[in-house]
Parts: sequence; C-alpha cells; structure tokens
Amino acid sequence: MPPAAAPSTPQNRVLPPKDRKAFTELLAQYEARQLTKGRKTADQILKKFPDHGETLCMKGLILVHLGSREEGVELVKKGMKKDLQSHICWHVFALIQKGERNYEEALKSYTQALRFDKDNANILRDAALLQTHLRYFDGLVESRLAILKQRPHVRHNWVALAVAHHLNGDLVEAKKVLEGYERSLKNVPDYDVEYSELLLYHIRILEELGEATEALALLDVNAKSRAIVDRTAIMEYRARLLSSLKSADAMNAWRALIEHNPDCYSYYRGFLSNQEIDLDSITEENRPQALEILRSFSAQLPKANAPRRLALVVATGDEFMALVKQYLSAALVKGIPSLFSDLKSLYRDPQKQKIIEETAEELRERYAAERRPDSSKKSEEPTTYLWTLYYLAQHHSYLSRHSQALSTLEAAIKHTPTLPELYMCKARALKRAGDLYGAAKAMNEARALDGQDRFVNTKCGKYRLRAGLVDEANEVFGMFTKKDAPSPGADLEDMQSWQYLIEEGDAQQRNGKPNLALKKYYAVERIFDQYEEDQYDFHGYSLRKSTLNVYIDLLKWEDQARSHPAFVHAAVAAARIWVALYDDPSIATKIQSEGSPSDTDKKAKKKAKKAAHKDKDQEDSNKKGATGPEDKGLEVPTPKDDDPEGIKLVAVTDPLERAAKLLQRVAGLVPHDVNVCFAVYDVAIRRKKYLQAVQALTRARSVDPEHPGLHIRIVDLRKAVSSLPEPVPSPSGPVLAEALSAILSEEVSLETYNSQYLQQHSTSAAAILASARVSRKLESPRDEVESLLFTALGAEVELSIETALEIISFLREIQSPRVDEFRAACDARFELSTVFKTRDQLAILRKECGGSGDEIEESDKVEVVG
Amino acid sequence: MNVRAATVDDLAGMQACNLHNLPENYTMKYYLYHALTWPSLSYVAEDHKGRIVGYILAKMEDLEEQQDGAPPAAEHVPHGHVTSISVLRSYRRLGLAKKLMVQSQEAMANIYHASYVSLHVRKSNRAALSLYRDTLGFTVKDSESKYYADGEDAYAMQLSLKP
Repeated sequence: MPPAAAPSTPQNRVLPPKDRKAFTELLAQYEARQLTKGRKTADQILKKFPDHGETLCMKGLILVHLGSREEGVELVKKGMKKDLQSHICWHVFALIQKGERNYEEALKSYTQALRFDKDNANILRDAALLQTHLRYFDGLVESRLAILKQRPHVRHNWVALAVAHHLNGDLVEAKKVLEGYERSLKNVPDYDVEYSELLLYHIRILEELGEATEALALLDVNAKSRAIVDRTAIMEYRARLLSSLKSADAMNAWRALIEHNPDCYSYYRGFLSNQEIDLDSITEENRPQALEILRSFSAQLPKANAPRRLALVVATGDEFMALVKQYLSAALVKGIPSLFSDLKSLYRDPQKQKIIEETAEELRERYAAERRPDSSKKSEEPTTYLWTLYYLAQHHSYLSRHSQALSTLEAAIKHTPTLPELYMCKARALKRAGDLYGAAKAMNEARALDGQDRFVNTKCGKYRLRAGLVDEANEVFGMFTKKDAPSPGADLEDMQSWQYLIEEGDAQQRNGKPNLALKKYYAVERIFDQYEEDQYDFHGYSLRKSTLNVYIDLLKWEDQARSHPAFVHAAVAAARIWVALYDDPSIATKIQSEGSPSDTDKKAKKKAKKAAHKDKDQEDSNKKGATGPEDKGLEVPTPKDDDPEGIKLVAVTDPLERAAKLLQRVAGLVPHDVNVCFAVYDVAIRRKKYLQAVQALTRARSVDPEHPGLHIRIVDLRKAVSSLPEPVPSPSGPVLAEALSAILSEEVSLETYNSQYLQQHSTSAAAILASARVSRKLESPRDEVESLLFTALGAEVELSIETALEIISFLREIQSPRVDEFRAACDARFELSTVFKTRDQLAILRKECGGSGDEIEESDKVEVVG
Repeated sequence: MNVRAATVDDLAGMQACNLHNLPENYTMKYYLYHALTWPSLSYVAEDHKGRIVGYILAKMEDLEEQQDGAPPAAEHVPHGHVTSISVLRSYRRLGLAKKLMVQSQEAMANIYHASYVSLHVRKSNRAALSLYRDTLGFTVKDSESKYYADGEDAYAMQLSLKP
C-alpha cells in the first residue's frame, strides 16, 4: 500500500514526521507480511495517537492475519469511524470483506477508496478483479482504461482492456485495442507461447465478429512466420474459417485434421458438412455419398474407430447389416467390453435393433459350434464366444428381458467364472429387474475378483447405496479413500465427489432419513459454490499467462455451472424434502425425538472427535515449532459443523424459503427441466406466490403438456386460486387469470378435465396414478379411487417398478385396505424384483447381502428404483 | 469413442472419471490450473452421450517448478508431465489411453518443444505400470521413496519425444 500523506490531509490523520515514518514502515512491514513487527510498530503509534484511524485499521488487518479475527475486525471498524476519508481505511475494509467472500460489499468499499485516491494502482487492480468476478463489465472497462492510462508500457494492461471490452460485448473495441497493441510490439522472441495465445485470441474475436477473411489472413501470416505455435489450433481455425468462406481448400483442411486425430468426431462432421452433408439429418440423396466418404476414411485409417462407427449411423438396410456384422465380429474377437454401450444409441431405430440382435445371435451360434470338440474349425478364441454372450446379456437386459439376460449370464459365468465384467453385468441386470439386494451382492462378487480396482469398488458402493445399505457402502468406499480422513464420506466430499453425495443423499432419503439426505444435498451445493469461487484467482492469472481463449470459456462455464445435472438433482431433491417438512411438521419432531444416534453414528462421532483432537495437536505443535507467527490469511475459515446429523436443520422455521433459495439458483439456468418446474410450483403455491406458480406450469407445459405431474398440479392450482377468499389484486391478478385459463379453460370442470385425461392415457400407469390422485382431491370415494388404481395392473397398461411403488405409497397415504393386495400382485408380476416383498422377506434378503437385519423397519420405505 | 482436446466444460466430467477410477484425486482448482496454464495439453474421450470415459491431464514442468537441487537454468530441458491419465474400466481395450497420450505428447512437443514426457506410478500398481511400459513405451528412470501421501514409493517414468 502506498504512503498515505496527501497535501490536503485532514487534521486527525496528520502525524509528526517521526510517527509518519513509522506508519510508512508499518505499511512496508505489512506488505512483506512481517506481521509481529508490524503489530509492534502499530502499537507504538497508537500509544501516542490512540485515535489514528489508518493505524487502527492496519493493526486490525494484521490481527486478522494472525488469527484474531474478531478483535481485528473490531479494530478495523473502529479505525473506519475515526477516518472515513481515508483510502487506506476503505482498502483495509475491502480486504476484510473480500476475505469474508462478501464481494458486493468489498467492491463498494474499493469504490469508496478510489474516491479518495482515484489513481491508486493496487486498488484499481483489485476492483477490476472484483468487477470481473461479479460480472460488472461496464465498470470493468472503466477500471481497465484507468489502469492502462497510468501504465501504458505494461503489456498486460492492453490485453486486459481488450478482454474487458470483449466481456462487455464490444468486440469491435476489443479488436481495435488488440490491433493497436500488436502494432506497438517489437522483438517478440521466437516460439513465444504467450504471444501465440494472444494471436489466437485475436483470431477468435475476428471469427466471432464474422470477419472470416480478416481472421484467415491473420492466421495464415502468423502461422507461416511461426508466431502461432499451436499446430492443432491453427488447423482447426483454418478448417472452420475456410468452410465458412466456402473455399475450395476447406476440404483438405478438414482432411488434414482427420489425419491428425482420426478419432475426433467433429472433424468428420466438419468434413461432411463442408460437402453439405449434415450427419444428423442424412437424406436419401446424400446417404450414398456420405457412406462413400466414411468408407474411404475407414480404408485409409485402419486404426480409427470413428469412421466405422459413423458409417453405422448413416447406413440402412442391407448395407447396415453388412457393416454392423463386420463391426460386431471385430469387436467380439478383440473382446471389447464397451461394445454394447457403444452400439445402444443405434437401438433408437427398431430396424437396426433387430438387425443387431439377429447378427449377434448368429455369431453366438457360429462361435458355439466352433467350440464343440468335434468341430474342425477352430478359428476363434474361446473368449470370443464369451464376449458374445456378454453382449447378448446386456442387449436383453436393456430391452427388459430380464430372465433371458440372466440365463445368458449364467452360461457366460459357467464358461469363465473369474471375469468381473460378468458379475457387474449381472448386477446391472438384477438392478433393472428390481432386485436391488441381489444386484449389490453380484457387484460385490465382481469387486472381490479385483480388489485393486477402484472402478469396481465405486460401483459396489453405489449398488449398496441403491439397496439402502449405507454403512456397508461406506465400508467399501473406505478401501480407497484416505486413511486419515474422519470417514470415507468426508474424504469423498473433500474431493468434491458430487456423484457420491447424490447417491448417499438419495439412499438416506429412501431410508427415511431426510435430515441426513439434506446434509448431503447441501454438501453438493457447497461444491458448486467452491467451483464458482475457484475462478477468482484466474481473473489475474490468465491475463498474465495470456491464456485468453480458455479464460473466456472459463467465465462462460462458471456462469452456467449450476445447470449441471448433479446440482439440479440436489436442488430439486432438497426442495422436495423441505416441502415435505413443511407439509408435515411431525417428520421433524420425530427426527428430533429419535435424536439418539445409532451405534455406527456414535462410532463415527468418536472417530471425528479423535480426528479433531489430532488437528488440534497438530496446530499446537505448529505453534510451538514455528519460528514466526503463522499467517492465517484473510479468508474466513470454514466453521465447524455443529449439526452433522442435520437434526437442527430439519427443524428450521423457514423450510419453504430455503427451498426457494435453492431452486432460484437453477430455475433460470434450466427453465425447461420439468422436475425443476414442478419443484418451483410446489414451493410457490405454498408460499402463495400464484404468479410464479402458474409460470412454472406454463413452462412445464411447453415441454411436456401431457406429463402426469403437470396434470395434478394444474388441478391443484385451479382449486387453490378459485378458493381464494379474495381475488389476487392487479397487476398480477389478471395475468394469473389469463395464464391459468390458457392452460385450462374455465368452462371445463375439473371432473371432466380429469376423466378426459384418463381416457387419453388409459394405458399409462403413471397417468392412471395422476388421475387417481386428482379424483381423491376432488373427493371421490376411496373405493372408486382404489378400483381406478387397480386398472394399472391390466395387461395392456405400461407399468414400471417405479410407478408401482408410487401407487403403493399413494394407497398407503389414503389408508387403503387394499395395499397388500396391490403389493402382492406386483410381486407376482415383477418376478425377479424384491422391492415388493414383505417386511420379513426383505429382512432375510438384506442379511444375505451383508446388511444388518435390525434396520428393517426402514426397508418398507424403499420407494424409488434407479 | 470421440477423442478430442479437453475444454473447461469437460473438467467436472474428468474429475468424476478420476474419482471413479483412481486413488489419487484432485479438487477442481487443480484441473482449472492445468487448463488455464496449458490449455492444449489435456484430452478427453467421450461416449455417445457426451460422458467422459477417459482423460489425460497434462502439464509442462516449468523452470520455477524444478525441485531443490535441480540443475541450473541453462541445463533445463523443457519436458511434459502427465499428472493423471485414466480410462473407465468398461471402456478399456479400445486403445483410448494410447490415443489420448499420443495427442497430448504431440502438443507438448509441438507447442512447448518438450524433449520428453514424465509421469509417476505407484510401485504396486502393476496394471498401470504395464500400460505405461508395454503399451505406451515409457521406461523407469528412477524410483522416488514415499512419493504418495500414504507412504508408498513411486517409479518415475519417462518417454523421449525426440524423433
């Protein structure tokens, strides 16, 4: 920080020369992080001038660094009050706020600081970083301009201004700045990676401006002079630019890329699209040409898979049959485990699915014949037969032919009992069939065959979680997590494994522990908060390193990082729990009265305590052993979690507001996710925010107008609005009425609406359930609702395990005496499934796959099968 | 599978793939550090749904990062380093590790004039050792005692990029 004294220094800031010197020293000591020395100097000054604001602030800042946050912040605030005109005081305050991650307020303080010292380079730079972080690009351009005016000879300041214009949407200005800057450059050393990156950034801006000719010229000159050193980047820009200019050279540019990386799909897309062939909508006219191109690449590049696989997308009929036969048998001979997941996207076309099945069966017969002892032909390895069985098992399982899948696998396992893949496949087939315990057991068998492999280990843990075996899952996870972590879950959380957190959160929720589920979902939220935070350091770093293209991509990614399925899932699942807690406060009461932790929890607690103790010991020894005092920085340390079980969390008084807060973070990013729409609706209607509610349904309707979840909510909204004691006032009232009648005309009665819906969707169990729920809401007698639900068992109705479980849970909700009858019918219908077993049967199954039998009270709550 | 240069959008998928497969894990910041310092060195393999099934996370060993006792600046030869490479078990035997490695090596040599590429492997990890040595052509140069957090030793392996 620069010295303070300015000509018009206010009286209370003036220090006698000796003390002024001391203050300058204090600033220097802080900059060098000589913290104890700095504190002593500050104390010296304060002895004589206890009200010197800037010294108070500096001492406070140093105290925060030394770990006395509270005292330090208190001093800073005191100092501020003594001297509100000092840029030093404001700067210190901004640093404290930044450490608290309170960026908005920190930026305000920087702005104040600049009022009193408008040319302070440090403050301008920090303010620019915050403006980038907060996406205040107007202000950013101003800050960058001010910095550049001060130091035009510093090269990064030009680049920074160009980036600021770019972010602010002003590509033309960005281009001008870069041009001016590049002209001023002299003697760029050869092979300067940073300059090369800068030129590529310039070319990107030209490309985004639509100035392809200029972009290509700049690219060609600098590629030739070797100022741009990234060959792949040169080739990619070239191909794209030539294509957009419809140049005859484009074809060769794409060809060069394909030869450079023959497994990159986008290069083939580029090559084809340059010939007016769109891979996503092949026509009868261009199909032969596309196939010819891919065939010639396949011949030229024997090791590349991409052209062969793409040909399977393009080809149809006999041609497809010939190609897929080659593809299948080559992969089976090689024993490629991913063959099925490679091909299954082709199954969308029923004809292709049929051809693949016939071909695979034919190959199985051929390989089986070759295996017979009397066979004269022994051309294929015995493993080829095995991989064929493995393929067919996945094929059948995918098409819900569960028994056929399992019997195929039994044959394969008999052939080779030691291949983990077969047990993994069996686990998956059982999971799809609804036997979660059997699936967990099979996955554990796979794990036992290769205990060194974390992939199988992770799968095993995941399958245990799916079966509700949480402790058992953590036991296997613990084989690969850090031994000194408080628990396997803690390590996975530290390593930002949102996959684990989602699975365990879902498992806890199914096990009837919404408190523990919420904890996991909020841990997912924290990971994404950290992802957002992570960009901060790169606002300065990337400019220095000149890695501008990837930096711009980083900012774009950050702006929509929370549209990630994991975050969306966590937000929706947590919102559902909040809604349930709001609707039924007894859930929270029950969790609190049961607060006594189970044995395993106790054990975990003990371990955590021990770990905490160890941390403390470590800290103590650090204190003793360290030569100087430790600089703890300005960032607020993460406070200790005093509610690890979420028992206090479920009892908060504002569940709906918390749900709304979570959903607000995703609703704008994934407006057309129906689950998000429904969650937003469920929260909004309870908060009596009718306009928000109807907008959520309008959005859902634009995606899937017949969705069962939408049907229920439309009725719910109409009922809620029509039973309001007073109409919603203007301006939202009329908007609400209009939006609602656009969804469901007022002339249609809810009864009619419901029966029409049922008529249109009588073969969908999910629709039957939705219609039954609505009937109940419209106060139909219970036996009528029951009979309706039982039609879901009809032979012509499409009924999934998930929906069957939801029906059972609804029957329970309306206290139907026919629950068991429905359950037994499902148990018979889904032969392999275990989720419809009785409580006692489940206890036995659970024990069989390593779970303890005593937690069985929870297992009748297994409600969702993934 | 589609093999292409990694972008920022891929990092979360790479992180998930790494956690699924390997015992050495990193937080997002470390992936970002790689991407924003050496944007052209990391590659991914993705399936038809766009899921990351394999990746190589790579960097250059810069001068300032040389450890104590390293040779003086004049003798420093720029070289690449593979921080992490991994292919999901269910996507093996497709040669993906090799394809990823070849692309990354090419970029190291081309952009940064790397003369060789180095990596570390746990002494007990025979599967990885055989991949690096037999499939990718690396040789063991050294062994580093207690390289890993849990106290296990590492082999330091190298592959020359000189033609």
